[in-house]
Amino acid sequence: MSPLESISEKLGITEPWVEKGGVHWLAMGTANVRELAKTMNGLRARFITITAYQLPKEEGFRLEYHWDLDGQLLGFSFQLAGKSIESIFDLCEAVDWIEREIHEGFDIDFIGREYEPLLLRQGETPGVNLREAVAASNAVAASKEKI
Amino acid sequence: MSYKIPMGPYHPALEEPYKLDLICEGETVCDSQLRIGFNFRGIEHLAETRNYFQVIALMERVCGICSNIHTLTLCQAMEGLTGLTPPPRAQYIRVIMAELERLHSHVLWAGIAAKLMGFKTMFMTCFEIREKVMDVLCAISGNRVNYAMNRIGGVNRDISDPQAILKMVEALELEMAHTVIPIFTTSKTAISRCANVGVLTTEKAISCGVVGPTARASGLGQDIRRAAPYAAYAEMEFDVPVQPAGDVTARLLVRALEIMESCKILRQALAKLPPGEINTGDDKFPFTTGTATSRVEAPRGEVIYSVSWKEGSRTPSRVHVRTPTFANMPAIHWMVMGARLADTPLIQASIDPCYSCTDR
Repeated sequence: MSPLESISEKLGITEPWVEKGGVHWLAMGTANVRELAKTMNGLRARFITITAYQLPKEEGFRLEYHWDLDGQLLGFSFQLAGKSIESIFDLCEAVDWIEREIHEGFDIDFIGREYEPLLLRQGETPGVNLREAVAASNAVAASKEKI
Repeated sequence: MSYKIPMGPYHPALEEPYKLDLICEGETVCDSQLRIGFNFRGIEHLAETRNYFQVIALMERVCGICSNIHTLTLCQAMEGLTGLTPPPRAQYIRVIMAELERLHSHVLWAGIAAKLMGFKTMFMTCFEIREKVMDVLCAISGNRVNYAMNRIGGVNRDISDPQAILKMVEALELEMAHTVIPIFTTSKTAISRCANVGVLTTEKAISCGVVGPTARASGLGQDIRRAAPYAAYAEMEFDVPVQPAGDVTARLLVRALEIMESCKILRQALAKLPPGEINTGDDKFPFTTGTATSRVEAPRGEVIYSVSWKEGSRTPSRVHVRTPTFANMPAIHWMVMGARLADTPLIQASIDPCYSCTDR
């Protein structure tokens, strides 16, 4: 059994891996992110990063987790209906700063961890969607210019 | 009784904004806390407002030292979304630029490390060598820092005289082999300041997810050029230096040996530079909807870009960049534990941190 097949089996996922642009993607379905982290730890895979995507309107967010397994780039995508997902910080130390950065930039809550002191915006309010905050402040500035 | 010493964000031993609060007992560090974000620029959000030409110039400014690597990684991701493949000559020029940038970065780091050791003569020697590399980068691109070499589908400028660069590489290799490496490996000053200082064990390196020379100096043989070759790296023969000790000496040795490997790669790439076009010639790019991920081995370690685009749009809907220092810096907490206070500037410098990358 290949390492990729063993990951699918441990997570109970029957969907095949899809290779796209050098990344091996596995559709996570209802699989849990903490189970994924434990599986990756068991394989001594190296955590790389999480990329957060804000989806249009009320669709929520998508988080893409990346690990490196012996040079293979693995991708796992999680669709968030709301604004929260379980933290894997206690399982994977390397995830600390990126979970904090995403919380500070997208207001996504990683359940089960602390954020303070803030990483990038010391002294500010934790959990602000910077994209929306910047858009709102630009709108205020534009309306003042009109006046 | 323990006491706290704040180092930074403005401190003689740290020339960029970053804060390391050191909890000490006597002269020994027993805990630490890192703080970043003093110059957070929101470049990822800004990228969403820039078109496919402008975003390359913007991301080049994520880092002053490895600016070329950022545009290379971004362009590779954008090529994944446009279906363009750069011509072979462009792939070789990308390798040459990447290795020249690695040389300039590693020699710069060696100079700074020497300065922090109190070895000013070595600092001057390293910076003199670095100037020669900068001259070559300037001769190729017209710029000393932001080279503007990469574009979607290739590179912007050709290398017209590979033999001239080859001469510089040979001279640099000789100087490194006869001066810098012997001094760094045999000088009492270097050994006493670096050996068994700032140790990051292999286990801790794995759990922290460190990358690049920091990982390779802790016994991890990971290198994206070897593991997942990009540009023309699959056609290059080179070794990946690995040291198991995990201390500052190991980080110094890995970088010194990597300078020699970079020279080896440069000699091959310059000798085999294929004829032909340097880019696909396109100036309008049909992006497909989707996300592309690209990663390369920057001087400080793996850089990864995730770029998301919608068909018909001129601007990306998301650009995420994970820089090597963002991965390496949290490990400083473990490196300074139990260290002497006086060694902490050198320890934090030993990962070759880039605060500009981290506060992108």
